[in-house]
Amino acid sequence: MKKIALALLIAGTAQAAEIPIVGTVQSRCVINTDTAGVYGNPNAYTLTTTPADGGVLPVVRYDVSLADAYKAKITYPTSFSTSPSLSDMVTWTGSVTVQEVSNVNMADYDTDAVTYDQTKEYDLTVTGTTWFKVASSATYGGGGNKAFPGGTYRAMVVAECIAK
Amino acid sequence: MIKTLLVLLLFSALSERVEAHEMVPTYPQWGPSHVQGVLKTQMEMFNKRQDVEYYEVGVFDKDWKAVPFVSSYKLFRLKYLGHVKFDIYVRADDVDRAEYVCSKSKLRGGSSAETMLSSRICSRFK
Repeated sequence: MKKIALALLIAGTAQAAEIPIVGTVQSRCVINTDTAGVYGNPNAYTLTTTPADGGVLPVVRYDVSLADAYKAKITYPTSFSTSPSLSDMVTWTGSVTVQEVSNVNMADYDTDAVTYDQTKEYDLTVTGTTWFKVASSATYGGGGNKAFPGGTYRAMVVAECIAK
Repeated sequence: MIKTLLVLLLFSALSERVEAHEMVPTYPQWGPSHVQGVLKTQMEMFNKRQDVEYYEVGVFDKDWKAVPFVSSYKLFRLKYLGHVKFDIYVRADDVDRAEYVCSKSKLRGGSSAETMLSSRICSRFK
């Protein structure tokens, strides 16, 4: 019995092959969806991602492996991509802010960011991970507080990573 | 004890959502192609977004105006966890104008009430 086990062991050793693991490291920027946002409906005429109003803030994560090589541009929504037919005006508000950083040197990202229209542009000067949260609210009726028609509403956050 | 730990690790690994879009290289280079007067570069993309199956490729100048280019597909299907290498061809006359090559996720309308994320990654010719 011992001889058989020994023979099997030797046979196993003789057949063993070296399996190489090959990997290439390249600088890159990766855009991740960490949390999908959800609109809460605190009253008939408002849809909002504010957690206190039943919403969920979408969170976008940027992983950067090369310092000072990328810009992050994040835009909050100004229209619905899916909605029932809307006959009145929708007023949009929103914001983009840094939620969390993996490196203390990223602490100034929010203050150094440039905002234009609905977009916030960040200079990703440090290697690591940054989490951005996006707030979005839509009010129906152009100030007249009209009730949103029943149905599903979806809107789109645009996250871009552009090499400098 | 070890079995319980393994089960917990397995569950945590399964429950973690991987939702990412990536494209390399960050700084591609133009090289010769098999056609005279046309230059080529190769890009590589990974789709770790479960909600995205299609990506659109574009080449742009410094003012984000489209630069004419040829690729196997301008809009291509890339399954979840899929990986693809694709060539981009530009006329030699347009090479100096070409500043960015970008890939953009194409989203489908759905019935869930979640906000959607459109992701775009742009590499730059230097």
